[in-house]
Amino acid sequence: MSAPLRNVPGDPQRGMPQNPSPGQTGLVLLGISMGILLMSVQLWLLTLAFNLYLSGNRRGTLIAAIVSGCVFLGGLAMLGVLRRTRRIR
Amino acid sequence: MTDHERQSLSNRTRDDRWHAEFPFEWDADELVSRRQLLRLSVWASGALFASTGVLALLGYSRDRTRGSLRAIVKASDVAVGDVHYFSYPGPDDHAILLRLTQDRFVAYSGTCTHLSCAVYWDAAQRRLLCPCHKGVFHPETGGVLAGPPPRPLPRIELSEANGMLYAVQETPG
Repeated sequence: MSAPLRNVPGDPQRGMPQNPSPGQTGLVLLGISMGILLMSVQLWLLTLAFNLYLSGNRRGTLIAAIVSGCVFLGGLAMLGVLRRTRRIR
Repeated sequence: MTDHERQSLSNRTRDDRWHAEFPFEWDADELVSRRQLLRLSVWASGALFASTGVLALLGYSRDRTRGSLRAIVKASDVAVGDVHYFSYPGPDDHAILLRLTQDRFVAYSGTCTHLSCAVYWDAAQRRLLCPCHKGVFHPETGGVLAGPPPRPLPRIELSEANGMLYAVQETPG
């Protein structure tokens, strides 16, 4: 017989709303703010790349794409880290 | 709970499992968690990256030069400091030929890079002017001197043979 399923508030397996542990809220909000800021940078990079493309500047467009890709990879890495992090209330 | 039921539950997503075990609606169901927000943000970030990447690929895969060899005007018909308007590469594409010195000719697309108004030669102030939004371009380089245009004017390469000026191709500014 397998172990009974946990049924406690904040269990990450149940999708219940949870809060960061005390003292970590600021850190979490900082991370979210940085993520949104980096997305804004990506949006700016897209407009920059479009302008460079129309100017025929291939190298500049490629650099903009690489920087945008790095931001995306950073987000993916963050998702991976969070997926392995078990939240405990 | 039987093993079969437990296996059935484990095959569902977390939210599905939660709703199967606790089949009641509550206000928190409508909330977006921070992790969900992060996941959505990462997907949006991926879409932005993909768009930028497509532009980079297009930049390397598509040749953005336009036009083919075409006669414009006899060099002797354009005085120094004077201008000749013509169409290139298509019949509806305005272009400007400038004779800067005795031996130096330059040609640009006559379409402003801001909102595609027609650009003309302001002889009094020796500059290329877009009257729509006061965009000013440098006559020697086609670069933006003032106003809202984001890019230089596309340049038209020239060649001369037997006193006749030819447009070779148009390249982005």
